[in-house]
Amino acid sequence: MHHSIELTDIHIHLGTVDVLLGVNIEAKPCEFISVVGANGAGKTTLLKVVNGTLKPFSGRVFVLGHDLSQYKNLNFLRRDIGVVPQKSNSDPFPIRVEEAVLMGRYGKIGLMRRPKRTDWEKAYQALEAVGIQRFSKKLVYELSGGEQQKVALARALAQEPLILLLDEPTTYLDQESRSEIMEIIHTIHHQRELTTLLVSHDDQLVEQYSDKIYLLKEGKGYLIK
Amino acid sequence: MSWIQTLNFPFMQHALIAILFAGIAFPMIGVFILSLNLIPLRFAMMHVALLGGAIGLFLKVDPLLLGLLFCILSSMALGPISEKMKLGVGILSGYFMTLTLALAFILIYKADIHVLEAFNILWGNILSLTILDLIIVGLISLMILIMVFLFFKEIQAILYDREIALAVGLPEKTFYYLIIFMLGLTIAVSMRLIGALLIDAFVLLPAMAATLISRSLKQTFFFSSLFGLLSGTVGLYLSFVFDIPTSSTIILVASLIIAGCFLFRRGASRHEKVG
Repeated sequence: MHHSIELTDIHIHLGTVDVLLGVNIEAKPCEFISVVGANGAGKTTLLKVVNGTLKPFSGRVFVLGHDLSQYKNLNFLRRDIGVVPQKSNSDPFPIRVEEAVLMGRYGKIGLMRRPKRTDWEKAYQALEAVGIQRFSKKLVYELSGGEQQKVALARALAQEPLILLLDEPTTYLDQESRSEIMEIIHTIHHQRELTTLLVSHDDQLVEQYSDKIYLLKEGKGYLIK
Repeated sequence: MSWIQTLNFPFMQHALIAILFAGIAFPMIGVFILSLNLIPLRFAMMHVALLGGAIGLFLKVDPLLLGLLFCILSSMALGPISEKMKLGVGILSGYFMTLTLALAFILIYKADIHVLEAFNILWGNILSLTILDLIIVGLISLMILIMVFLFFKEIQAILYDREIALAVGLPEKTFYYLIIFMLGLTIAVSMRLIGALLIDAFVLLPAMAATLISRSLKQTFFFSSLFGLLSGTVGLYLSFVFDIPTSSTIILVASLIIAGCFLFRRGASRHEKVG
């Protein structure tokens, strides 16, 4: 069986800074993998490598059986990867919650095509899965930080991804909201049989949810669980 | 002579037709500018046009044509260059703006070009439009409307968050470059046709007013077009009635609409709090 994610000997240099120096990470289908490390350890960089938005200086990246170095355009693959960024746009952009979640379907709908009823249904299922259906008509920027994070999660779910990438999904939240978000992520991970790769600086928070935990330190990756 | 009678003059008919086209379509470009924070690009294009005009005068080629050509080429190049240099388009626009201005001044000084003649490329006059001008404004307006209609969801994703547009598998770069190109094209052409001052009245101010009261991108596009049309026609009418410059009057009307939208929003939010 293919690994869902397979990073081998990844080297990344950003300007004169060596961010990753030979990192190896594997995730089998349906595994929940966490990558922990201090701020600036290269966690977000790692997610960008998996999503194909950042090419490694050297090393091999396989995602869902595809060698990313063989493709110039990775949009087909990104449609199967849900991404929850650390912080989405918080500018007062006029977009309702339901529209922001429907956006997860845009890649799959195709160019110049309008969303169909099934796309809206999937968006509403995602809203329900993260428990924010009641906010569907509100504007995204009117919500609290925790609620906005749930919108981002719902958008990633509406995409019906095979892989879920989460970049510090609890950073700006209070303790109660952190646990709530992690519980939702964990439930969804099992229900939808996703391969989940979560990066966080909080190793204690992710401990109980993760099948494997990698520590990123000084550019190297260490399997610690 | 009454307002209605003035419409018998071809120059007034042309101005009204241009306002109808530009009033509806150009504010949509303003929505792009505000959402993507591309205001410096609008200034950069003015200076690029000036350099093109100066080179045109030096080479004895039509300065307007060369100015437009420079703007179109710059707007096509800005996106990919900003990507290569890993600099935002806004920052790169600042670079383009100062560099082209410096080059234009050097050329104007060394080649002994008449300064006013070079700057002439920046000042259009809505009351002196030809049929060809109208066709150009009409075509660009149509291109903007078709782009927004066909690619609404792609545009919505990019204006909301470019990273998310990329993450969900949209060809984000292609659309971003298309937006920049359309922006450059609109500014370049309208600068000559309706003047540098009036660009803001048609492109930015109605979009600013619309963002104050809209609760969706569709509403923003709709209200920006409505306000563009309103400020253009009312401004043209008032400029005739009070015998004042058309561009300035249109801008005054657009500014009043912004003030009205601001008061409306304040009233609406107070009403919500009380409710």
